[in-house]
Amino acid sequence: MSKNLIFTSQLKTYKMRKLLFISALLIIVSCQQQSEMDPNINPFFQEWNTPHEVPPFLDIKDEHYMPAYEKGMEENLSEIDVIVNNPEEPTFSNTIEELERTGKLLSKVGRVFSNLASSNTNPQLQELQRELSPMLSAHYDKISLNEGLFNRVESLWQDRENLGLTSEQLKLLEDTRKQFVRSGALMSEEQKKQISEINSKISGLSTSFGQNLLAETNGFELILNKSDLEGLSDGVVAAALDAASQKMDKAESEEEKEKYKNKYVFTPHRSSMYPFLTESTRRDLREKLYISYVMRGDNGNETDNKEIAAEIAKLRAERAKIMGYKTHAHFVLEENMLKTPEEVYDLLVKLWEPAVKRAKVEVADMQAVANAEGQNFEIAAWDWWHYSEKVRKEKYDLDESAIKPYLSLDNVLQGVFNTTNKLWGLNFTELFDIDLYHPDARVWQVTDKDGSHLGIFIGDYFTRSNKRGGAWMSSFKGQSNLDGRERPIVVNVCNFPAPVGDNPALLSFDNVVTLFHEFGHAMHGTLTNVTYGSMAGTSGPRDFIELPSQLLEHWASEPEVLKSFATHYETGESIPDDLIDKLLNASKFNQGFINTEYLAASLLDMDWHTISAEEDLKDANKFESESMRKVGLIDEIAPRYRSTYFAHIFSGGYSSGYYSYVHAAVLDSDAFEAFKEAGDVFDPNLSSKLRSTIYSKGSTEEAMDLFVQFRGRKAEIGPLLKVRGLDGAE
Amino acid sequence: MNLFRAVLFSFLFITSFNLYSHNPEDFVIAEIERGQMNFENEQIAAEYGAALKRQRARRLAAMPFYKKFYIFVKAGFQHIIPEGIDHILFVLGLFFSCITFRSLLWQVTAFTVAHSITLVLAAQGLVQLSGDIVEAIIALSIVWVAVENCLYKEPSKWRYMIVFAFGLLHGLGFAALLTQYGLPKDNFISMLLAFNLGVEFGQLAVLVIAFVLIKMIMKKNWYSNEIKIPASLIIAGIGLFWFIERVF
Repeated sequence: MSKNLIFTSQLKTYKMRKLLFISALLIIVSCQQQSEMDPNINPFFQEWNTPHEVPPFLDIKDEHYMPAYEKGMEENLSEIDVIVNNPEEPTFSNTIEELERTGKLLSKVGRVFSNLASSNTNPQLQELQRELSPMLSAHYDKISLNEGLFNRVESLWQDRENLGLTSEQLKLLEDTRKQFVRSGALMSEEQKKQISEINSKISGLSTSFGQNLLAETNGFELILNKSDLEGLSDGVVAAALDAASQKMDKAESEEEKEKYKNKYVFTPHRSSMYPFLTESTRRDLREKLYISYVMRGDNGNETDNKEIAAEIAKLRAERAKIMGYKTHAHFVLEENMLKTPEEVYDLLVKLWEPAVKRAKVEVADMQAVANAEGQNFEIAAWDWWHYSEKVRKEKYDLDESAIKPYLSLDNVLQGVFNTTNKLWGLNFTELFDIDLYHPDARVWQVTDKDGSHLGIFIGDYFTRSNKRGGAWMSSFKGQSNLDGRERPIVVNVCNFPAPVGDNPALLSFDNVVTLFHEFGHAMHGTLTNVTYGSMAGTSGPRDFIELPSQLLEHWASEPEVLKSFATHYETGESIPDDLIDKLLNASKFNQGFINTEYLAASLLDMDWHTISAEEDLKDANKFESESMRKVGLIDEIAPRYRSTYFAHIFSGGYSSGYYSYVHAAVLDSDAFEAFKEAGDVFDPNLSSKLRSTIYSKGSTEEAMDLFVQFRGRKAEIGPLLKVRGLDGAE
Repeated sequence: MNLFRAVLFSFLFITSFNLYSHNPEDFVIAEIERGQMNFENEQIAAEYGAALKRQRARRLAAMPFYKKFYIFVKAGFQHIIPEGIDHILFVLGLFFSCITFRSLLWQVTAFTVAHSITLVLAAQGLVQLSGDIVEAIIALSIVWVAVENCLYKEPSKWRYMIVFAFGLLHGLGFAALLTQYGLPKDNFISMLLAFNLGVEFGQLAVLVIAFVLIKMIMKKNWYSNEIKIPASLIIAGIGLFWFIERVF
């Protein structure tokens, strides 16, 4: 093959040869591992004899996914049939453990696909994703509604006292049964029919909600002339010009093209809106763009979401009632760490007051700046970004460019590796002979303090145009001890700016915190040591799984740790103390606003999902303003998401779950406080307790119990208030 | 059941206030927050190229010295055989111009010294010349040498100067490719040396093969008319074709 390529290259143009030369060199360095895969057979249907069973990425092509998914689902169903039709009496081993063993092929293809469809995607994969989504949910419905299967599980559950199960097995049995029950297994046929009707209505409405929101977000554009750009920095102007030229490219008529010619476009997408709101000195235009943002879905047109939101909330309440729950929130929270709406409200309300108090101080600070400028207006919601930026410069100023040289990616990685080394004795060895899905993805072997293999860690840090935005953790292989010791392959994906030329990649401190955060998830996925794969790693409740990640962030901003890794990439000097002080001070900036808008949205979410089925809900706006008036939201701040664009709860899967981030934040601040109290952020006893409770147990025990085992008591909010500067200590 | 739960739970989470999970239904959230993804193939390819270079640098940095050295020697050699057909033709052009081994040795030495000089200078970033110009003149140099072979029986005195000058250009050509490949920072000079060594081996191999094939007939009186001139004409023709292709 390569001979052929080189031969034909001689006839082709020089540029072609140049490319070939380079690729030939690449092949020398890159391909130290020879693929053992049979190219004629779909790689998902073959054994992976790769090092540590890392997927053979170079052999996997887009067209391999669908057939593998189809076969995977088919196999999965026949495996389930075998369990159901087993003539023997149900036992834990022939039912629950066998269930654990099902769906291997589906998992094999699913993990690769869902990862790559986000981290290295293309239009084909995105299309495939849309195609697969309904297929998969129908598939899992078939399993969760399988009566024969449920009957076996249920008979085990009834007999659970006499089965001699370990606590882990008992929890697995309980969780498995709960999945069936929550899917309606205990309902009468009539109820099942009602629920499935409600489900399909909700699903249709959710889709419309999302589509409307997309249309509303894409539907507004602020088209500006050069003279309207006062205050905007070059980068922001360039992006707006670029947006206009993209619109021009997509325009279908000459007339439409003319509309964007030599113009600058801003939209209600956050990435476009925030820079404008921050920099523009044109108050009228700030207001216009801001209003377009908060009015999305609330314009009384055909893409209005008010009725849809109310309808979804009502249907959810009805469904909960049929299933025997007081409200939808009760139904959702049953699975979480905080078990009832009362507990969630209690937490949110406790945090609310300090947050709003701080936000009012921030308003006053901004008003002072505006007054000093001789402005003659009261700070409004659309002024927040512009004036908070001025306050930031005055009080919290931090020169990012002075800090970045201390934060090269390699140093930060060394820092996070050392942190886990000091906590748990882990060691990371980079592996160079494994080819991943993209050359920017790097891979390490993680070994335990006794040198044994713990897992594989993949870090894919730089932004690129075929990667989704944001940062996340995922896995290519899970952990299980059911049939021999299987260790996981976890991955962190981030969107840090790639280095320019031969320079090292330099991170902002925000990036560093993100890296530690995702690495915390990765450790949760790596230190896990449970028998059953479905209970491993990050399988716990939503308001718990952010704890291992957010907890690790605290070490990143601990001066002792920061100093150890933040060394200048050119001079090797440690970051100076005054920079660290500024850095830590800056993290308290705008916390009143951030917490208030977040808590407002969390409360709104809870309010929507604690309504009863009988409630008369016509007007989402009225509901929302009543909800916000009740807690006393100030005019200068809107909830982070208003009802008509709260896609997380009306289109995504976060209903009565939006609070979970702040709950995890309470837990992590309080957990880190334990180290502070001990006077050593690497206290050996606490470190090993942390590992044996929070990081290694997966969901084999109740999350709240795990926390209490570590801390000796339930969490308190004091440490969080301190971290976020909401304790009024200023 | 594994996946049943995996689907419910394995969707992944992101920094504090940046909520979006991997659930397909949540993509709408991502799209609203960040706008639609824009796939521009050119940009994706450019990003991929830059990433490859970074990966190579990491892999090289982790290799023991001897392995790195070997890789660069091999790369230099491969740049002549089989990939450097224009360099092969140039060296063959020199070969056909000589009857004595001695004069060939001098010419090849002049060529080697010259391209080593520019290779080092260019790799250090001290000399730069547009690749298009360099490549066009390299094509021209092949024509020149081959045409000269047809016009003169023996290479002229100033021919060494010309060969030297062309050598300088060929060095720039090597360097352009080498820079794209990326030299490891900490072993810059030694890897440059290794690459150059590879190039010399490649050249030497071409000459040895040509010498073995042609040795027997070199002294025959029909050698010039039947072999040297036709071969040179073919070389000139190819060089001319490249020149035109690279200029236009």
